[in-house]
Amino acid sequence: MRFELDEYAYLDSPLHRWEPRFKLIGLLVLIFAFAFIRDLRLVPVVLAIAATLYSLSRMPLSFLISRLRYPGFFLLGVILLLPFLSGETVIWQWGVLTLRQEGVLAMLLVVGRFLAIMTTALILMGTTPFLTTVKTMRSLGLPSLIADMTLLTYRYLYDIAANLSTMQQAMRLRGYGTSNRKNLPFVPDLRELGLLASLAGTLFVRSYEQSERIYKAMRLRGYGSEKFKVHPVYAGPTSSPTTLKTWSGVGLVCTLLVATGLVVAEIL
Amino acid sequence: MHIPDGILPASVCIAGYAIAAPFAWYSLRQINRLKDPTEELPKASLLTAAFFIASSINIPVPPSSVHLVLNGLLGSILGYFAFPAILVGLFFQAIMFGHGGLTTLGVDAVMMGVPALVAHHIFQLRHVFRQKLGEKLATSIFAFLAGALGLGLSAVIFFFLVITNIPSGFDAQTEQAAVYGLTLAHLPLMLIEGTFTLLLVAFLQRVKPELIERRG
Repeated sequence: MRFELDEYAYLDSPLHRWEPRFKLIGLLVLIFAFAFIRDLRLVPVVLAIAATLYSLSRMPLSFLISRLRYPGFFLLGVILLLPFLSGETVIWQWGVLTLRQEGVLAMLLVVGRFLAIMTTALILMGTTPFLTTVKTMRSLGLPSLIADMTLLTYRYLYDIAANLSTMQQAMRLRGYGTSNRKNLPFVPDLRELGLLASLAGTLFVRSYEQSERIYKAMRLRGYGSEKFKVHPVYAGPTSSPTTLKTWSGVGLVCTLLVATGLVVAEIL
Repeated sequence: MHIPDGILPASVCIAGYAIAAPFAWYSLRQINRLKDPTEELPKASLLTAAFFIASSINIPVPPSSVHLVLNGLLGSILGYFAFPAILVGLFFQAIMFGHGGLTTLGVDAVMMGVPALVAHHIFQLRHVFRQKLGEKLATSIFAFLAGALGLGLSAVIFFFLVITNIPSGFDAQTEQAAVYGLTLAHLPLMLIEGTFTLLLVAFLQRVKPELIERRG
């Protein structure tokens, strides 16, 4: 099984080599600094920072564009609504359509922050293998229960998705979705709702039964027997060459300085 | 129903994490009080994955279709595991689909997770009314309420947060009207979500009753 985000996690770039703990802290602080800005003049600055980091990561532009496709609908909503609904200063009017200055500025701010944060988050998740990311979060204090749940959910997500699509195919083969019954608009068919509830219910029952088998297998491998010991998956060696640590430290300090600079610029 | 990155100011995002933290802490504490939390963990994890996948099922509502949120159902079935499950689910949605975001993870977790915990307690009320209403009817009523109110509460928090935090100029009255209006628009969705939860719980009661009798 290959996690989609791990597609470019094994490239060789300064961001890939950056020590995961330093990278996680540095980029998260930067992301929050991006969320902090309200001054429109800082939008090009944050976009430039995100673009520079992305080009340093050597991940292809097509990867970023493909990740932006889904949230693009949200962007479209903001672009279509805010400039026409929010604010008082009218800058253009055509019939009932009124373009308002405050709305345009708010739209630019939201879209700018969104793009910068999305890109930086993608760099953070895309340049580190997912397992390493969870391991890093665990070493930084994420409770073991949440870390274990994350890994187990991740492990079985695609299995369960495949299970659902097999069941949906079986439903279609038995004639689901071919009925010509006319329904009232905006009123769901109760029988259809019942079928879909049974579909979801079957998915839960199957997952539950599978989890019982998994738990037994985990127990046989010693899971839960050493309650206070760190789970082996999180206890991997973290030693790295001294030069790499130094450069990672420099990277962290630089990122923190940039983040502080943004916050100070915003306050001033 | 997720708030994406960029729309909320950093202060609200940080407040979201600050509010989510005690709920996560309390849920973990309740989970650790279970007889054997490690036994529950794989079950909760696989059910989390199943919820995540099941929320992608299209419910036909002519002429279009809707996706369910399922946080009320999640709370009813997973109990206190619902809050960490929602954190995990939202994390995956943010990093895999860009649905929600890392800065808004705390806010989104409060928006989805707190109503899920409320739904858990609503669903537990069926034990109180079991004698009076009968097992089946009590379970159905409280399953419906848990599903409908789980979504309803999330919708109220969502619209309140979005409308009061859009960076520029709606006046207070417009904001209030919009919050009420959009929440009212969610009433039919609450009915669908409640009915779906009721039907699903009835299905589980017939097929695998131990799934709804689990206490997180």
